Amino acid sequence: MTGALELHTEEKRDITLRVFRFNPQVDSKPYFDDYTIQIEKGITVLRSLNYIKEHVDASVSFRAFCQAGICGSCGMRINGISKLACTTQVWDELSKCREAGIIKIEPLRNMPLIKDLIVDMDPLVEKMKQYSNWIETRMPESEIGKKEFLVSEEEFRKYDKATDCILCASCVSECTILRAHKEYVSPAVLLKSYRMNVDGRDAIHDVRLGELVKDHGVWDCTHCYRCQETCVKHIPIMEAIHGIREDAIEVRGVRDTSGAKHAEAFMEDIEKKGKLVEATLPIRTNGVAWTLQNLLPMAIKMILKRRTPPPPPLVKPAKGMKKFREMFREMTEHVRAEQKSHKK
Amino acid sequence: MKPFDIVIVGGGGAGLYAAMEAMKTNPALNIAVLSKVYPNRSHTSAAQGGANAALANTAKDDTVELHIFDTIKGSDYLADQDAVEILCSEAPKIIRELDNIGTPWSRLEDNTIAQRPFGGAGRPRCCYCADKTGHTILQTLYEQCLKKGVFFFNEYFALQLSVNGSRMKGLIALNIKTGKVEAFPARTVVFATGGYAKMYWNRSSNAAGNTGDGQAIAYRAGIPLKDMEFVQFHPTGLRKSGLLVTEGARGEGGYLVNAAGERFMSRYAPEKMELGPRDLVSRSIETEILQGRGFDSPAGKYVHLDLTHLGADLIMSRLPQIREMSMYFEGVDPIEEPIPVRPTAHYSMGGIDTDNFGRTVMDGVYAAGECACVSVHGANRLGGNSLLDILVFGRLAGRTAAEEARRFEPAQIGAEELKDTEAALRSYMRPSGHFERYGTLREELGQTLGMNVGIYREASKIRKGIEDLAALSERFRHIRVFDTSDIFNTNLLQVLELKNMLDLAETVASGALAREESRGSHTRTDFPVRDDEKWHKHTLATLDRNGVRLGEKPVSMGRYELQERTY
Ligand SMILES: Cc1cc2nc3c(=O)[nH]c(=O)nc-3n(C[C@H](O)[C@H](O)[C@H](O)COP(=O)(O)OP(=O)(O)OC[C@H]3O[C@@H](n4cnc5c(N)ncnc54)[C@H](O)[C@@H]3O)c2cc1C
Ligand code: SF4
Ligand code: SF4
Ligand code: FES
Repeated sequence: MTGALELHTEEKRDITLRVFRFNPQVDSKPYFDDYTIQIEKGITVLRSLNYIKEHVDASVSFRAFCQAGICGSCGMRINGISKLACTTQVWDELSKCREAGIIKIEPLRNMPLIKDLIVDMDPLVEKMKQYSNWIETRMPESEIGKKEFLVSEEEFRKYDKATDCILCASCVSECTILRAHKEYVSPAVLLKSYRMNVDGRDAIHDVRLGELVKDHGVWDCTHCYRCQETCVKHIPIMEAIHGIREDAIEVRGVRDTSGAKHAEAFMEDIEKKGKLVEATLPIRTNGVAWTLQNLLPMAIKMILKRRTPPPPPLVKPAKGMKKFREMFREMTEHVRAEQKSHKK
Repeated sequence: MKPFDIVIVGGGGAGLYAAMEAMKTNPALNIAVLSKVYPNRSHTSAAQGGANAALANTAKDDTVELHIFDTIKGSDYLADQDAVEILCSEAPKIIRELDNIGTPWSRLEDNTIAQRPFGGAGRPRCCYCADKTGHTILQTLYEQCLKKGVFFFNEYFALQLSVNGSRMKGLIALNIKTGKVEAFPARTVVFATGGYAKMYWNRSSNAAGNTGDGQAIAYRAGIPLKDMEFVQFHPTGLRKSGLLVTEGARGEGGYLVNAAGERFMSRYAPEKMELGPRDLVSRSIETEILQGRGFDSPAGKYVHLDLTHLGADLIMSRLPQIREMSMYFEGVDPIEEPIPVRPTAHYSMGGIDTDNFGRTVMDGVYAAGECACVSVHGANRLGGNSLLDILVFGRLAGRTAAEEARRFEPAQIGAEELKDTEAALRSYMRPSGHFERYGTLREELGQTLGMNVGIYREASKIRKGIEDLAALSERFRHIRVFDTSDIFNTNLLQVLELKNMLDLAETVASGALAREESRGSHTRTDFPVRDDEKWHKHTLATLDRNGVRLGEKPVSMGRYELQERTY
């Protein structure tokens, strides 16, 4: 299947889009179709898909609407990474192909597949409802529309970036926990929850937080940073996740069963079952202190922050693993002690 | 199926506000919102610049009166003055209401809602949230609707009204996920389906789905469309894609510069310069290009929008989306280089004819937002007045429908009608006699409209456009939906949208031919001046057996007398 998509005289090349296909009505399992078309520099993946749909194979199905990176419709995996088709340049993808000249296009993960590149967004919407992703205003009913809230620059900054989220679900697709647990709150909903919780106009902060610390909530996140690395709007999602955790410990205390349980489970995992996969620890690149800081559950960190001498000094990489073990054991003792004193 | 009290078609700003208000007006009502995309994907999200309201936060001497006057003058006196009065006096309330329920408005130093200057406004009264205003408003409304438990039918494509004589029985829609045609028996239907400017396709800033579906459905049901010839061209579309660089860029101090390096707006609007009203700035750019003072490129002629003197800090803090878009779609970083721009079809002033409360001529049918024409924008909409329009009149239409719903008796939609509709859709997939491709027809539609019914119009060209449209409609009878699947058949949706655009394009061209004057966005080179004696009136397009029939409707005047419009 071939064709040509041109705008004007720019560099051109034959490029293959290897597109994931699945129509549940007729296909027993998914497969890939290759479409080779001539594409010039400056063309986006979405325009290439449009071209294929209009001139080569009308049955290829995907969502797209604004074509300008603002509506969030066109999230898909391009060469294995979830992103927006409408803001992704074909040319930029060429260096990322596994097989030279073949760009692989697949649907987002972690959401039920509907057809080809289209996945079901309803589960995400349901989670937005479950975690009250809205403002319940503090303004009395009779005053609504009559006066404005005064919002300081400082407060505005807390949620400004988070309101960039276009619910494209790219982060959702990349989330490591969601792959195992579909019930997990998901990064986008954590971000939105955080955005609501730091908004001074909102009256249901505690209700939302109460839901967030339950099972499948904020404590389940593994801190893998995948969501943040993926976010098409470059939103610091991890700040939101940290923010919720700190807030949870601040408001609900370390004793809060979900936080404490989470910390305990984490330590057990590492100690007893030996689940600490050393090879995956970013010690080499980031050093021991960074790794501890970013790997440990927030609950543990918060305890350490208050109770122990400042976190261990930065140790140079390389033979870090032994040092890491030592420091980890030391910290664990502190946490244990802390939790015991609470349980009494 | 149990009939709905209200079915709202469209989940953009207008539809969502209508839903919220209808629920508030009468919580006992059974209300549904249907949308062909998830509501948060609606085109309202693309509005970057802001929404006007005389809050007088930035300019202490701003008043509702001034806002009214600017709007009427901006409309080239074709707006209905009573409607404009509602629009502007409700504005401060509605902006504050949005603030109260979570819209993250940008703030001034005194922590009040920030406002910036916008084209055609005498005071800085455009309330904004960086350059994501529409996005954040839409998010806020969607969140509130989720909170209130509004019943959403997402990814449903409205096909037609079910009408028995003059009695509206409800709506027929396609469930996109299953491919089933479903009935929505309803006492009232509110159209909030957005604009039709996408018919200009590559030279349009609009989302792919802004195809005027609601207007086309209403039109085919016999409801008149008003002022369809008025299509606004935004001065600054990106050269290659037509995508928009918001007026905010000029509001923040951007310059328009031609190939000779001149800030050419000094020739056309010496006082307001780049902040002149849209129609004027678009015509100025087009004139510069036509007279050979534009830049040339394989993608077409253009001028420069220069932001470089604003500095990296301001660009990154106030106009981050614009910067991103220039980089994604033109490969230009506005901190370092000027952005290549040319006018792009942007907004449809025309639409379903309604009164000031959203009522159409058909009992039980209402419309609001860009798909309606109240009219508050007349011949030219001011930047920042459309978001306001969808909020104010979305709310009013929702309230009116809620108050009136119980006056209409429920009715059922027969199984026969559904079957016929489904068969009609299926027939597009039959190979025999069906060979035309959607992409080809749509491309030609955009081209003939851009060339013959674009910024500069004249009788001979418009006639040519009308001929082309007739030929395209004829060819459409042979169109083929190549995808024969039921589930998420986007090929079928494209074809249905094309049909809607074709039907509406005919009303746009007919109105443009009839209106022998130049007013607002409608510029006839063969009738270069405004002719108040003959044409100070709205056009009404109704469908009859032979196609478009044009009628007229008086403009409701008020305090403001007709004046020449200069800036
Ligand atoms: C790029 C851009 C920038 C803009 N900037 C500004 C600005 O700064 N200030 C301003 O005031 N205005 C601005 N506007 C104009 C303004 O954004 C729109 O006029 C306004 O958002 C329209 O809102 P709406 O609710 O009427 O329609 P939309 O937001 O377009 O929503 C239409 C809804 O109808 C649904 N729908 C359509 N057809 C069907 C169907 N057949 N079946 C089911 N559902 C259907 C869609 O799914 C969607 O939910 C801008 C417009 C553009 C294009
Ligand atoms: S950091 Fe947490 S939310 Fe983000 S992808 Fe990893 S597990 Fe998911
Ligand atoms: S957080 Fe980023 S990646 Fe995730 S849905 Fe929002 S915009 Fe998309
Ligand atoms: S089409 Fe809207 S984000 Fe890509």
